[in-house]
Amino acid sequence: MSDDQHWKGYLVVEAKDSLFIQSSYVHEDKIVYGPDSDSTTMAIAAIQFMHSKGHRIKSIHLPDSIDATTVYLATGVDSSLHNDDLQFDEIKWDILVGEEATLVVAKTDAEEYDFEAPTDVEIIDADFHHDMGEAWCSEQALTHVSQGAYVSHSQYLEGARARLSLSSQSVEGGLIWPPRQLDSEGGRLPSETEVLIAEAEVESWTRLSAAGAPSEFSLRAPILGGLQTLLVRFNQGPRGVFLVTDDVDYSPSIGDTVHFAVRKIYAQEGIIRYGLKALPKR
Amino acid sequence: MVDVAVIGAGQTKYGNHQLGLKGMWAEAAENAFSSVDKNFDPRQIDEAFIGSVAFGGAQLGNTAALMTEHSGMDGIPVRRVENACASSGFALRDAWMAIKSGQADIVVAGGIEKMNDLSAERKRFWLGVSGDTEWERLAGLTFPGTYALMARRHFHEHASSHDDLVHISVKNHLHGFDNEHAHLRKEVSFEKANSGFMVADPLTLYDCCPTSDGASCVILAADHVVRKFTDDPVWIRSSGAASDRLALHDRPSITQLVATQKASQSAYSAAGLTAKDMDLAEVHDCFTIAELMATEDLGFSEHGKGGGFAREGQGIRNEGSVCINPSGGLKSKGHPLGATGTGQAVEVFKQLRGTVEDSRQVRDAELGLTHNVGGSGATCAVHIFGRERNV
Repeated sequence: MSDDQHWKGYLVVEAKDSLFIQSSYVHEDKIVYGPDSDSTTMAIAAIQFMHSKGHRIKSIHLPDSIDATTVYLATGVDSSLHNDDLQFDEIKWDILVGEEATLVVAKTDAEEYDFEAPTDVEIIDADFHHDMGEAWCSEQALTHVSQGAYVSHSQYLEGARARLSLSSQSVEGGLIWPPRQLDSEGGRLPSETEVLIAEAEVESWTRLSAAGAPSEFSLRAPILGGLQTLLVRFNQGPRGVFLVTDDVDYSPSIGDTVHFAVRKIYAQEGIIRYGLKALPKR
Repeated sequence: MVDVAVIGAGQTKYGNHQLGLKGMWAEAAENAFSSVDKNFDPRQIDEAFIGSVAFGGAQLGNTAALMTEHSGMDGIPVRRVENACASSGFALRDAWMAIKSGQADIVVAGGIEKMNDLSAERKRFWLGVSGDTEWERLAGLTFPGTYALMARRHFHEHASSHDDLVHISVKNHLHGFDNEHAHLRKEVSFEKANSGFMVADPLTLYDCCPTSDGASCVILAADHVVRKFTDDPVWIRSSGAASDRLALHDRPSITQLVATQKASQSAYSAAGLTAKDMDLAEVHDCFTIAELMATEDLGFSEHGKGGGFAREGQGIRNEGSVCINPSGGLKSKGHPLGATGTGQAVEVFKQLRGTVEDSRQVRDAELGLTHNVGGSGATCAVHIFGRERNV
């Protein structure tokens, strides 16, 4: 018996000790990724779904196409691609990527998978799909380097765990996110141990015209018709600014509740930077 | 303690300049030198502080030494001051402190920015570079977006609206119309300013300052040498400065700038004055919402009442309670980032000496204030100027 559900912008079908997840977009009868999704973002969503259902996945076999470091930072789930010391037989879970925008999470000893394909799919606009694909290709070129406020890969990695997993610092009086260094007495703040609940209230929002977008987004902003950013407050106190995912048609209002999913933010020098983006709560 | 006076001040026209960095700086310095009433020679200058973000103009490092080399100030100690859009506001503070400390008698504070020599694509690289780039820019925010978030929240928390911002835009275009140094010299109707292209919802083109080239230069002197140069000095009554967290999301409130509040309280306190004493104020209106919030944070209106202040025309020259942005502000006069802070001081110097165009003169101006903000409020410098020395 299977039951398809929406999860972080994807469609999931849950079965015993396994999960089928797919993009909700179809192009020419094929399931295709949405404008800021790929197998890494979907793998993270799948692991997060399994965690939400009580499965204790500590390590997993990942195919080369998935960014293992990003999966680890976002979910805490290790893999041999990320950690050379991990013994092959310690890993009890697999992720298998399909030919289309689908993947399966299952125990390594599972013998067969039997999922009923989700039906709540949407045909993606062909031009939009093509243009976004081209833009991402150009953006990932080694020569594509933003200047001005250049955020190096090293600088990105310094905050990547907090960015991808909402891990925060616990101090007397509350939680701090994004992480900070020293406190007002000059002491070192603790490392991030508490994970914020990935739900927040919109305190303000804007839609920036494509012409005014930072250079990191200059190829895609015109296709998207601008960039939509929210300032939100998490229930536990901290606030943050987040882009809205590229695959939702959403007109925000102050007071709305949103949740978050890992998506591609931008790419340069051949490296995709991932981060959380906001989705309206259905 | 030594008192500090402005003995000369000058600037270029702001706008799209044919001149490069050296030419613009030379023009601003020349105008400042010639504004000194008597006996001035640039070789008398002890030290210089020059604000610049180094946006364009091909000189990212050692900008200040290049500027002084081309303006008769060879060999003096000089440095570039960078605090985003507040660069020369802080250069002015540094120059004031150099004299206050007794280490120098005559000091130049200035600023320069060349912004229109870059292609549209290269300009884009610079968008939002003075915010918290790692978190804000990667969430798609540049300063129009950041200030748009503030505006929408202000509308939500207080009885303000976009119409209030339109009133600010109309006023600043009115004030800048007769300013020979202004970038955008055109009067704009309420209807026109209310129908601009949406830049960052809810801010339109008419809520945003232009991208300008320009340079400005102010000459300061210690009290014991002032009379050698002029019988009509403008005194710096006080200097206040503060900082705040770079990112909006790290601040307790996004509808007020704590750095402005702290800097102005410090300046008012040191001068023994209040907002009510000011005849005019050059405030940092990079966006119209920034002026609305500044009128509150500087104490010209109560917190949350800046919309009403604008709507009632309280900042209009010779009509309201205090003239806000007699030069036209960043909105009309223009915003060459590093030059803006000392450019504000040039305007106040001239207003207090009665040397601006007759049509722009604030009547009976005795006290004026400059308010220069870096980024979305992470840094702020406030200076109070007066015809009289501190009592």
